[in-house]
Amino acid sequence: MQYPQPISKLIEGFMRLPGIGPKTAARLAFYVLDMKEDDVLDFAKALVNAKRELTYCSVCHHITDTDPCRICDDQGRDRSVICIVQESKDVIAMEKMREYGGLYHVLHGAISPVDGIGPEDIYIPDLLKRLQDDTVQELIIATNPNIEGEATAMYISRLVKPTGIRVTRIAHGLPVGGDLEYADEVTLSKAIEGRREL
Amino acid sequence: MHIDQLTLKNYRNYPELTLAFENRVNVILGENAQGKTNLMEAVYVLAMAKSHRTPRDKELIRWDQQFAKVEGHLTNRNGPLHMEVVFSNKGKKVKLNHIEKKRLSDYIGSCNIVMFAPEDLTLVKGSPQIRRRFLDMEMGQIHSIYLYHLSQYHKVLKQRNQWLKDIQQKKVKADPAMLEVMTDQLLHSAAHVITKRYAFLEKLQTWAQPIHYEISRGRENLKVAYNPSCNVSDDMDLSTMLIALKEEYEKVQEREMQRGTTLIGPHRDDLSFFVNERDIQTYGSQGQQRTTALSLKLAEIELIKEKTGEYPILLLDDVLSELDDHRQTHLLNTIKGKVQTFVTTTSVEGIDHDMLKEADTFYVEEGMIQKKG
Repeated sequence: MQYPQPISKLIEGFMRLPGIGPKTAARLAFYVLDMKEDDVLDFAKALVNAKRELTYCSVCHHITDTDPCRICDDQGRDRSVICIVQESKDVIAMEKMREYGGLYHVLHGAISPVDGIGPEDIYIPDLLKRLQDDTVQELIIATNPNIEGEATAMYISRLVKPTGIRVTRIAHGLPVGGDLEYADEVTLSKAIEGRREL
Repeated sequence: MHIDQLTLKNYRNYPELTLAFENRVNVILGENAQGKTNLMEAVYVLAMAKSHRTPRDKELIRWDQQFAKVEGHLTNRNGPLHMEVVFSNKGKKVKLNHIEKKRLSDYIGSCNIVMFAPEDLTLVKGSPQIRRRFLDMEMGQIHSIYLYHLSQYHKVLKQRNQWLKDIQQKKVKADPAMLEVMTDQLLHSAAHVITKRYAFLEKLQTWAQPIHYEISRGRENLKVAYNPSCNVSDDMDLSTMLIALKEEYEKVQEREMQRGTTLIGPHRDDLSFFVNERDIQTYGSQGQQRTTALSLKLAEIELIKEKTGEYPILLLDDVLSELDDHRQTHLLNTIKGKVQTFVTTTSVEGIDHDMLKEADTFYVEEGMIQKKG
């Protein structure tokens, strides 16, 4: 049985979102039909506004509604440190911590030849431009601890190390507050590898 | 470790089946195409959550059915253990003592298996791939960190090969920093894989040597050697191996970019077997090659016992009749009273009588199984 056109278009719209298959899309679409018109309008407006009013910061490429973004613009932040992350979501995660007072650089991806992504396809050239004046003293590379994230980290460090800027990589291993006995062998062996002097 | 009860549902040609086993030799007897190997495969699947015959789990589900289930009540030295694997079109689920395990690595290794199938007889003579698979499978069972490094290696290799191919086809420029990164990442995993393989082979040889000596009635001295595709050796520790590999990759990098693929590393390495200092892949007789395959499998049983404190379950699929009386007797002596063993065969002819006396026999016919006596 075919859905009427307006609803099948809505279902298709939902299906384009990540993690949503035909069943969930249909359930969401029918839910929208039952919503109050005002609520639907608010929702639609929020969608459009998010797209229209948000851009990427021309300095760090984090999502923002002002350019440069609030973080880059904040004179109270330490301009000598840049933390490099893969996605905007990672900036939000780091900011939640409220411990880090430096700047960010969002790469929007990681090096992965299999997916056709080379160093020039993510914002690595932009990063190098940011390092040209002498303000930056340290880069903290916080890409994901998988093959692609690791390759990206190594690549950046190769390019930047000769300039004398300190390049560091965030630690990985055991989660804080976790019990040793619940950690899997691989995490444990990584934790042993990254052990440090007390 | 042994299986007390095995239950299959919609598995291959078995709609429903429950069998009880003793901790001894179980002979599965039947004509061809009745489901003997399917039963062996089911035991293998219970332990490894995948088949040794096919990479496609869907093939395990009985025709026209939605799911297949293999369930086993086992006993190990800590007491009873319940294992369960369910395959459906949504993928597979594994349960240990009725608790679902999200990660397969938390499940695999609970029950160790050594399988000896006709294709293992080609271990010596066959392609290098067979020998690498043998290494990876056996090491993976007792060495979960090895599997991690191996899978990292293959992931990096895929990335690196794609990048080399892009260079060969002039899609990207040969950025020296990229080459260094891709190579460093690769050799880091490679060094782990190779050092662990050396260590494993040394152990395997210490067990296999006396076994082989005895099967050959004191005439043959077996040696197992690792044949790396580049200049590394077994006396290197991880850090010297890293330095050596770096040099080796530097030597071939020009050629790699021309050829568009990675030319050296664990994915190109091989094994050789020597009997009385002679390479038996080239100079060995059929019998020597078979004896070697058998010695290695028996050595594995002991190695697993040493590593896990428990004997594995042994599966002999259609190979017993391929071995002569002397080798059969030796096999029997090795497993007697220690290793629960499943044997498939089309006829009891050619099978050691002492072995049959101590065994339970099951008849298989069109997906039905009956215990004799």
